[in-house]
Amino acid sequence: MGALPGRGWVPIGAVGQQTQSVASAAAYAGPGQIDRRPIPDDVRRRRFLLSVARHAVLIAVGAMFVAPFIFVVLTALMTDDQAVTPSFWPRPFVWHNFPEVFDRIPLLQYMWNTAQIGILSTVGIVLSCVPVAYALSRMRWRGRQFSFVLVLSTIMLPIQVTIVPLYVLWVRFGQIGHLTPLILPSFLGDAFSIFLLRQFFLTIPDELSDAARVDGASEFQIMTRVIVPLAKPAIAAVALFNFLYNWNDLFAPLLFLGENQKLWTLTIALTEFQQRHGTEWNLTMAASVLFMLPVIILFLLSQKVFVEGVTLTGVKG
Amino acid sequence: MATTVTTAQHVGPFAEAAAVPRRPRRRNIGRGLTVLLFMAPWILGFLGLVLYPMLSSLYFSFTKYSLLEDPIWIGTQNYSFMFTKDPFFWLAFRNTVWIILVGVPLRVMFGIFTAWLLTLPRAGSKTYRTLYFLPTMAPPAAAALAFVLIFNPGFGPINQILQSFGMKNPPLWFYGPNSSKWGLAILGLWGVGDAMIIFLAGLLDVPRHLYEAADIEGATGRQKFRFVTLPMISPVIFFSLVIGVIYGFQLFTQAYVASLAATGSTVNDAASNLGAPQGSLLFYSIYLFQQGFQDFRMGYASALAWILFLITMLCTLVIIRGSRRWVHYQGGGGFR
Amino acid sequence: MRRWVGVLATFALLAAACTTGGGDDAPSVIDTGGDASHEPVVLEIWGAWTGRELEQFNKIFDGFTEQYPWITVESKGGVGDPKILAAINSGTAPDVVLSFTLDSVGQFCESGAWQDLNPYIEQSDFDVSQFPPSVEAYTSFADSRCAFPFLTDAYGLYYNTDMFDEAGISEPPTTLTELQEDAKKLTEFNGDGSIKRAGFVPWLGYYEFSIPNLANIFGATWYNDDVTESAVATDPLWKAAFEWQHEFIADVYGDGDFQTGADRLERFVAGAGDEFSTAHDMYTERIAMNLDGEWRTAFIADEEPNLPYSTAPFPLPDDQADEYGRGQIGGTIIGMPKGSPHPAEAWLLLQFMATDTDTLVYMANNVRNVPTTLEALESPDLDVTPQFQTFLDIFEDPNSHYKEPSAIGASDQNIVQAFASRWEVGKQTDLDAGLADAAQQIDDQLAQAAI
Repeated sequence: MGALPGRGWVPIGAVGQQTQSVASAAAYAGPGQIDRRPIPDDVRRRRFLLSVARHAVLIAVGAMFVAPFIFVVLTALMTDDQAVTPSFWPRPFVWHNFPEVFDRIPLLQYMWNTAQIGILSTVGIVLSCVPVAYALSRMRWRGRQFSFVLVLSTIMLPIQVTIVPLYVLWVRFGQIGHLTPLILPSFLGDAFSIFLLRQFFLTIPDELSDAARVDGASEFQIMTRVIVPLAKPAIAAVALFNFLYNWNDLFAPLLFLGENQKLWTLTIALTEFQQRHGTEWNLTMAASVLFMLPVIILFLLSQKVFVEGVTLTGVKG
Repeated sequence: MATTVTTAQHVGPFAEAAAVPRRPRRRNIGRGLTVLLFMAPWILGFLGLVLYPMLSSLYFSFTKYSLLEDPIWIGTQNYSFMFTKDPFFWLAFRNTVWIILVGVPLRVMFGIFTAWLLTLPRAGSKTYRTLYFLPTMAPPAAAALAFVLIFNPGFGPINQILQSFGMKNPPLWFYGPNSSKWGLAILGLWGVGDAMIIFLAGLLDVPRHLYEAADIEGATGRQKFRFVTLPMISPVIFFSLVIGVIYGFQLFTQAYVASLAATGSTVNDAASNLGAPQGSLLFYSIYLFQQGFQDFRMGYASALAWILFLITMLCTLVIIRGSRRWVHYQGGGGFR
Repeated sequence: MRRWVGVLATFALLAAACTTGGGDDAPSVIDTGGDASHEPVVLEIWGAWTGRELEQFNKIFDGFTEQYPWITVESKGGVGDPKILAAINSGTAPDVVLSFTLDSVGQFCESGAWQDLNPYIEQSDFDVSQFPPSVEAYTSFADSRCAFPFLTDAYGLYYNTDMFDEAGISEPPTTLTELQEDAKKLTEFNGDGSIKRAGFVPWLGYYEFSIPNLANIFGATWYNDDVTESAVATDPLWKAAFEWQHEFIADVYGDGDFQTGADRLERFVAGAGDEFSTAHDMYTERIAMNLDGEWRTAFIADEEPNLPYSTAPFPLPDDQADEYGRGQIGGTIIGMPKGSPHPAEAWLLLQFMATDTDTLVYMANNVRNVPTTLEALESPDLDVTPQFQTFLDIFEDPNSHYKEPSAIGASDQNIVQAFASRWEVGKQTDLDAGLADAAQQIDDQLAQAAI
C-alpha cells in the first residue's frame, strides 16, 4: 500500500489544537538552544557518538526509502538485456530510453489527459466543497449536526458499492470512454475535502464573521471575502490532495476510459505499457520515471502544504 | 452563587438552534435558502452519487444483470452462491483479511518508529523528513512495478543481497504464491510516509511536562514510551487502524499491477490472470472488478459490493467499540 | 423520509429497466457491382495482435479495399477480450472484432455479444463447407454461429535436434513413456541439485502447458453431451492425466520422490524467460523439448534463426498410440459485435477475412498460423517449412480438437487450474477429492449461468 489507496489523507479526528501540531510538524527543527555552562569532554564525546549513531540509523533508514528510486532511475538507463541482470550500474548509459518511451506511446497525450482530469476535478472540488464546508461550520441551522454526520459516514462508503450503478448510468448517457464520469462528480462535493475544510473553518474566530455580518455583508460575501482568504492553506491542501489522487488513480479511469485509448490516463498507460512491453524492463522503468516525475517535483515545491494538510484536522480526540 | 439564566438551560439535540435568538420570519426563509444553496452541491452529490447508486446496487444484487439484457430478478441466489458455492469469494476474502491483519499493524508500528526517528536529530531533520515521505509521493502503480522488479527472484537486488548473506533459496516474492503478499506488505511499509507524518504530529504534541514528570519519577526510556507516549498518541493509532482497515478492504491498484506484471501475462491473458500467482493476490476488490467489469456479472458484483460494505462497517464498529478501552484523549486528565 | 425512499427506489428500477435490447436483423445485402456508387465507409476492427504480427496483419486490408474501394479499414491492435466486452456492453463497439480466446465463444454466442451470423450466411448464400469440419465446433454454440475462424493454431512438440544428437536419441518420442525416457536423458542438474537443463517441463502455467493442453493430450472430455454437467470427476482420463504428471516429475526430476522433483521444478519454472522475448527457455537452452503452438516457428525464425530444432506431433498416452498425429487445434476467431455500426460492410469484411485465399496464405506465411479454409490449405503459395508442415498435418488430422465451449467461458479452466496448482506443488494429495470438488464447482457455475 504505497500512498493510502484512496483519499486516505484525512483523519477522522475531531477538532483540537491543530494549529499547534501543524506548526510543530511543519517547522520542527530540533530542540532550542539554551545557555549552558561548559560541558565536560567525556560528556561531549558521548553526546557526539550518540548523535553519530542516531544519524547513522536515520541515514540507513533513509537509504532504504530512497534506494528504490535510485534503482528505478538506473534501470531506466540500461539496455533491456542489462536490465534483467543483477548488475546495478548501467553500462552504457542509454539515455535514449526516455525518448523511446515517447515513441512507443503518446505519453504527452496521456499526460495531458491526466492533467485535464486533475485540474478540472480540483476546480470542481474547490468550487463545490467550500460552500458546503462553510455552511457546515460558519452558519447555524437546524440539521447541521445531522448533515455533518451524514457527510462523515459517506467517507466510509467503499467505492465498489456505488460503482456498478454509476457505470450503468454512464453507459446510458453514452459517456463511457469520455472524461465526464471522472470530472463531473467532483462538482458535487467530496466528503473528505468537505471535512478537511470544515475543520479548518472552525478554527477561524467567530468575531470575524460577526463583524462582517454587522456590516451588512451577505453570507456569500463573508465566505468569499473573509473566510476563503484566511483558509488558503487548507484550500491549497485540498487542491493538492485531490490532484494527487486523480493523478494516481487506477480503478475509476480503468473502468471508464479503459476502452478508449486516446483518453487514457498515465496510470492506465503505465499498466498497459508493462503488459505489452513487459520484457523490456528498462523501458517500463523509464516510463515509470516519467510518470513519477511531475508529482515528485510538485511535492518538493509544495512540501509545507502537504505536511500541514495531512495534520490539518488534528488527530487527537 | 448566581443562577445564571441562559437560553440553553435544557440541553436537547437542538439546543444549538434554540440558543439562536429568533429572527423575523422572512429572514429565516432567506437564511434557509442560503443554506440550501450552499449545501446544494453536496446534496445533489449525495442523492445522485451516493443514495441512488446504493439503492440501485442493492436492487442489482438480487438480479442477474449483464448489461446486454435487462436485469432478471433471482432473489437471494447471488448471496447463497457467494457463501456456499464460490471458492474464489472465500479466497479473495482470506487474502484481504491477511493483508489487513499483517499489513496494518506493521504499518502502524513502522510509522511510529520512523516518526520517532524523525524526532531525534537536531540538524537536517527536514531533509530526513522529506526523504522518508518521498515514497508516498510515488504513484502506487509505478511503485508496484518498481517493487516487482526489485524483488525479482532471479536478478533483483533484494535476492542478490539475500544470497550474498548465504540464503540458499530466497523467497520468490511476487512470483510465488506464498510470498507475494509479503511483497505487497513491504511495499506498504515503504510508503509509510503518510502514516508517519500524522504520528510525527502526534509525538510532537505530547506535552513535555509529562516526560519531565516521568523523568523525575525515574522512568526508563521504555517505560516512558509505554506509559506516556503510547497513551498520548493512542488517538492517532486508533485513527490509523480505522483508515488502514477501511482502505485495506479496497486494495486494488498495487495488487492489480503487481499481479499482471509478475505473471508476464499478455494483453489477452489479463482476464484470467488477475490474482496470480495462483490466486494469492486475488483481493476482494480485484475479484469484484473481475466479476463485474470483465465477466459482466453485474448483479453478482453488486452483491459482493454490499457484503464488502457490511464487513467494513462491522470491522470499523468493532474497532471503535474496542477503542474506548485503550484510546486516551487529551483533556481527559490522568494516564490510561 | 419513507416517501423519498420510495421515489428513489422507483427511479432506480426505472433506470435499470431501460436497456438497449433487441437483436439486429440482417440488413439488405448491398450491391457489390463495380459501377454501383457507394458512400465511403470506414470500418473499425479491434484485435489482440501487437508488434510485428500486428504490422503484418494490417497489410491484408489493402486487398480488401481493392475489392471494395469505398470501404477503408482502421485496425486497432493490443485490444484484449475485456476491452472488447466493455465496449460492447457500453454501446461503443467497433464494426468487427478479433479474439484469440476461443473459450469465450460460448458466452459470446449465447449472450449475443457477438451477433449470430446465420442470417447473413443465409442471405448471402455463403458456403460454410469452405471450412474444414473441425472449425465448426469452436465457432458456434447453442444454435448460434457467432464467429468465423481466421487462421488457427495447432500445438505440437518442439525439440532441440543438437541435444537429441548428443543424447543419442534418433527420433522424437511418440508416446508418453518415450517422452519420459527422453526427458530423463536430456535433463541435467547442477551441483546443488537444482535443475540446469530440463528435458521437458510438465508444469501447469509454464509457457503453453495449460489445463486444456493437458486434457487434450489425454483426450479427456470436459462435459457431458449437452454441456450441462462437468465430466472432470467422471472421465477417468482426467485422473490419468494428473497421475501421469506426478509420476513424470518424480521420475525425471525427483530421483523417484515427487516432492523433491516438484520443489526443484517450481524453482526452475520461476526462472523461466519471458515467453515472447529473446530469453525464451528454448533459445537459452534451458529446456530440450517444449509444447508450443505453430506460431513459434515464426518467432524462432525472427528471434533465434540458428536454433537447431524440429517439430512433431505431441506424444500420446501409450494406450492411445494409434491416434498419434492429433493435437490441440483452435485459434483466432472474428465476429460482428452487437451494436456494430455498419453491419452490411462488416459482413463483407468478415467474409473476406475468413475465405480470401490470398489473405489466409499471406497470414500463414508471415504470422505462421495455420490457414482455415480447405482451399488455402492446398494452396501452392503456402510457404511450408518441414517444421511448419507438422502443424498443417495436425490440423488436418480428424481427431484434433479443442475443448468443448461452454456458457461459462474460461471459468472451468480457472477452477481446474486452481486445483492443479495445489496438486502440482504437493499441497493437495487426494486426487479424487480434488477432481470431485472441481467438478462440483463447475456444475455450480453452469447452474448459475443458466438462470
